[in-house]
Amino acid sequence: MNMNSDENIVMLNPQRKLIRDAQKTKGRIPVKCRQRNRFIPCFLAGVVVLSVLSLFYLEIDWGKMVSRVPDIGEVFWQLAHLDFANMDLILSSLVETISIAVLSLLYSLLLGIIFGMLAARNIFRIPLLSVLTQSFFTFLRAVPTPVWVLLMLVCLGMGPEAGVAGLCVHTTAFFTKSFAQSFESIPDETIEALEVTGAGRLSIFFNAVLPAALSQIVAWAGMRLETNFSECAILGMVGAGGIGYVISNSLQGYDYGTAGTAILLVFLVAYCIERLFVRIKKRF
Amino acid sequence: MTKKIPLIAHDLKKLYTGFLIAAVVLFAVTSILTEFNIFTLISNGDAFWSFLTEDFLPPALPKASRIPGVLSSVVVTLALAMSATTVAAILAFFVSLFGSEKVSPFPQFAKVVRGFATFLRNIPALVWAFILFSSLGIGTGVGFVALCITSFAFMVRAFVETMEDVSQDCVESLQAVGATFPQRVAQAILPSCLSGFLSWFLYCVEVNIRASTIVGMVGGGGVGLTLFSYIKSFQYDVALSIILLVAVMVIVVDQITARLRKEILK
Repeated sequence: MNMNSDENIVMLNPQRKLIRDAQKTKGRIPVKCRQRNRFIPCFLAGVVVLSVLSLFYLEIDWGKMVSRVPDIGEVFWQLAHLDFANMDLILSSLVETISIAVLSLLYSLLLGIIFGMLAARNIFRIPLLSVLTQSFFTFLRAVPTPVWVLLMLVCLGMGPEAGVAGLCVHTTAFFTKSFAQSFESIPDETIEALEVTGAGRLSIFFNAVLPAALSQIVAWAGMRLETNFSECAILGMVGAGGIGYVISNSLQGYDYGTAGTAILLVFLVAYCIERLFVRIKKRF
Repeated sequence: MTKKIPLIAHDLKKLYTGFLIAAVVLFAVTSILTEFNIFTLISNGDAFWSFLTEDFLPPALPKASRIPGVLSSVVVTLALAMSATTVAAILAFFVSLFGSEKVSPFPQFAKVVRGFATFLRNIPALVWAFILFSSLGIGTGVGFVALCITSFAFMVRAFVETMEDVSQDCVESLQAVGATFPQRVAQAILPSCLSGFLSWFLYCVEVNIRASTIVGMVGGGGVGLTLFSYIKSFQYDVALSIILLVAVMVIVVDQITARLRKEILK
């Protein structure tokens, strides 16, 4: 909150301010909030205009959509008829999905620490290196994960390898940025004190910077596991294996019972991860 | 002096050892389950490299006649993200008022509202897209609704948390003097939480730009569909230039939202 001039006057001489206000408003106590951000109304207006324009640009056929709304109810009704016949297939692909998510998280954790070390400005003190690493990973992060997985599918073939490698690209890019941020938040005094004792760059990193950033690393990893699982569930739909493939395949084959069971399981796992993470975060 | 002074606190050390052991065990179990071996990946490096240098690089422009179509698909993606987030934000604002026990006029239903939002949120956007595709058919409208559902659920949670973080004194004192529910919302909640809400809204726009590209890939239209069709038709060099375009789009939007957020939180 910024302090505007009115507040300063209040602090200097509250009584004079009150009297002036009373004169201005003819004895009424003003209830309007004075410290409003003037930018917000402009922003809101801009958003509304842009959204209305976008809606017109999209030319969505609302009539057709609304006329099909009853179908949604029917699809949900059919999804609710859970079918446990293909349970072994669903469970094995769910385990595969979870494994891919965890494995890619662990690999990227390692890669993220290495690249985060290169990207942080206070470790090696080579500005060019950190700028290059940062901008390369900004590019990798900007492209959605399924695109990387599709490309990995092309060069590695079907299977979990493509999923792990594709997820790793995005997760590593995410970790590099966030770890570099955590490393840079280490006070310079710590590093300077170790420099004075003649410690090398790498030993400074492993003995001072990494331990100090460890709790943040754990927090980032927990946050990323949530995202990784839901992205992993998506990946099957663009062609990689896992639970997503089961869902999209059975939906396209009108096998709603199986799809409903798989979606329910995806929801349960995602919910459990979220709860677990909330518990861990509270303990820290 | 043979005894060393421990540099890390004892309980912290135990915690970190626990995490390390858990990580190693998880690594072993998942590696066995997926039969993923990093060395096969490295030994496949040649194929990978030739793919990169021959098929992928250098980026090529699509045919001149296609360029306007590609550009307009980028605009569709942007428009989809923008409109879906706004509609979701407006809905989420009204619903989140009923999701907080301290604000809602019916506190006993707050848990139900939050549970509903949790259910919607924990199913990925693409799964919603698939469910809706099978009932509404393929098209931009379905992508719009799918994006709306997930960002609506996310924003309900974020808004409720924002409202609970802000001190409840204002709401309580207004309640004490007999202010009605709409008055409490307009005079206590909106002034104190609006900048927080808008900051979450901007975050959602960022997320939805990526999500609308993904939803596009499976049939929601926009630049995702264009990219997907180039990859499926093995024109990887053209695909690369579209990937670059998507990256530029995302980075530019991130920059704009970062600037706007700074202005709003000032």
